[in-house]
Amino acid sequence: MLVSVLNGLAIGSLLFILAVGLSLVFGMMDVLNLAHGALFLGGAYLGATFSGSWGGFLAAFGIAAVGGLVAGALLSLMTAPLRRRSHLDQALLTLGVAFVVAELLIIAFGDDPLSAAAPPALDGSVTVLGAVYPTYRLVLIGVGAVLAVAVYLVVERTRVGALVRATVADREMVAAVGIDNRLVTTAVFAVGSLLATTAGVLGGPIYGARPGLDATVLILALVVVVIGGLGSVRGALVGALIIGQVDTLGRVLLPELASFVLFGALALVLVLRPQGLFGGPASVGAR
Amino acid sequence: MADHPLLSRRRLLGVFGAAASLPVLSACGSSVGGGGGGDGGGGGGGGNTVRVGLVVPQSGVYAALGTDMQRGWQLWLDGNGGRFGDYTVETVLADEGESPQTGVPAVQKVLQSDGVDVVVGIVNSATALGVRDLLAESKKVLIVANAGAEDVTGAGRTPYIWRSSFTNGQISAAMGTHLAESGFGEGVYAIAPDYAAGTEVISYFTRAFEAGGGRVVGSAQTPFGSTTDFQPFLTGIQGSGARATFCFYSGAEAISFVQQYAAFGLAESIPLYGSGFLTEGNVLPQQGAAALGVQNTLHYSDQLDTPENAAFVDAYTAAHGESPSCFAVQAYDAANVLNRALGTATALDGDAVVTALEGVGTIDDSPRGPWTFENQTPRQNIYLREVQDSGGTLVNAVVQDLGPQGQPAAV
Repeated sequence: MLVSVLNGLAIGSLLFILAVGLSLVFGMMDVLNLAHGALFLGGAYLGATFSGSWGGFLAAFGIAAVGGLVAGALLSLMTAPLRRRSHLDQALLTLGVAFVVAELLIIAFGDDPLSAAAPPALDGSVTVLGAVYPTYRLVLIGVGAVLAVAVYLVVERTRVGALVRATVADREMVAAVGIDNRLVTTAVFAVGSLLATTAGVLGGPIYGARPGLDATVLILALVVVVIGGLGSVRGALVGALIIGQVDTLGRVLLPELASFVLFGALALVLVLRPQGLFGGPASVGAR
Repeated sequence: MADHPLLSRRRLLGVFGAAASLPVLSACGSSVGGGGGGDGGGGGGGGNTVRVGLVVPQSGVYAALGTDMQRGWQLWLDGNGGRFGDYTVETVLADEGESPQTGVPAVQKVLQSDGVDVVVGIVNSATALGVRDLLAESKKVLIVANAGAEDVTGAGRTPYIWRSSFTNGQISAAMGTHLAESGFGEGVYAIAPDYAAGTEVISYFTRAFEAGGGRVVGSAQTPFGSTTDFQPFLTGIQGSGARATFCFYSGAEAISFVQQYAAFGLAESIPLYGSGFLTEGNVLPQQGAAALGVQNTLHYSDQLDTPENAAFVDAYTAAHGESPSCFAVQAYDAANVLNRALGTATALDGDAVVTALEGVGTIDDSPRGPWTFENQTPRQNIYLREVQDSGGTLVNAVVQDLGPQGQPAAV
């Protein structure tokens, strides 16, 4: 039981890294980026290709980071002309990008499912709380915690972060006071995509890499973002930790309902608190 | 200012729906019927040519199986002059895709547009069941070269659908009997994906295991296709007091399950058993050392020590640089039985081919060992295999021949 709580933390950490980018991009730019899952899968394939050594793992990490930045900037440029259009138009564009990227990944990496080994020294298991637990997942909890603190500090304590928060709250007002926020929005899109691709590398040893994984993780990320509240870092963190627990502890306690607990939790939040746990009216409804 | 409509929850959920249909859409988008792979009918007039529709996945999650099946089919033709009896074989290739939404139209296409005499292939059981009426009405023979659902050749079968592969229950019942006899009778945990084949495998395993005096102490069915982390279920296995685990996974889930089973320390205390697809084909190298010692049942292993199999493995490896899988053998044998049937068939219509298939007797030169048709599906030897390291390569070594078995009676 305690091991399941621990495992929920590990999965939650990974989901946070994945979902915080999606949440920020939506909050900043009002773009629901459905290509987020495909970016994750791109990172996972890089991780699978280079796995087996620390050098390979770090190389995959670096390539994924640069690739994520470039992809995010491109997506930002592509969605810019649709800024004044409805969410559906933007969703269709990014959905199209997701299809193209998924197909390109199949061409590049084949359609066999691949596995990614954790880097040496982390690929074993240790005994925690009287149960055997993979070392890599423990490390992942730490990485997630560090990233959560870093993202929180940047968003809450820096000038750029203040600009980001202001843009989330009211983009037109930020523009009206004379700040050109195009650079900031592009940067946030790029960093959000970087978080998606690096989450793919980090998630490789747990999820592997296979066609169709992009859709699976995209849905998880959307659930996290909806539960936590759109555009909120704290919301993404709490949402990810909740979904991590629901997806592990929920399945331990209610194995017969394993297929339903995730969306059951989502439905519950939507009924009780439609704007998400941390989504104040400012981050969703003010426009 | 008000240009952006509110993101209503309903709309967001609509987008969810779009996201959930990603795999389906991509499968539809890429399913294109392949061109003919035939040899142009060198044997003269159309009367001497048999057109065969080879319907296997060329896109989607089963594409790798489709490749293996094409290779097995072609290997038999190449080794036998491209002829079935007195007929020159013309192969018409079509993409089954990954679901009946693509598979049924593909069969319809080869039957109606390409006018084939016989259809071979079909990976997906739902597709095999979905084309039943199509074949019965057009009176053409289908040789199923993979799909394992019991009902394909069950009580309600059509005389036009035959099978050269296996049934889900045949493979899992053999393991049930074996585990009951090998000291695990006091407790086994059964786990499989939550879909038709998973349910079938668990119920046939359970019946055979309990008939041998065994007790299933727990079972779980994991969400199909979306389960990437098995930790919650592994905890359930540990808490059940099971002495062994029986599972049925394939593809990506087989990789995750076997690796996590080892990483969470279960492999040392609760040995893992499964249907042979768990460690068959291209998933085995991905599983790596985690798969060592996993025991499983299947109707074939490339490690079988027979002259027929050695010749087959050599020819296949020479052509493709990798060992053959059971999927390649199933298509290879489909060609073999068609050759035998068309050698005696009086005509190419479905009824004549059915009559000829009924008389083919024992297939005595198959790589999997001798087998016969029983109720239109193979009665064949099932092998107990164990994943071992053979000079740096993981292989499914044959540790025991569990003897010939037919399709089990319906549960």
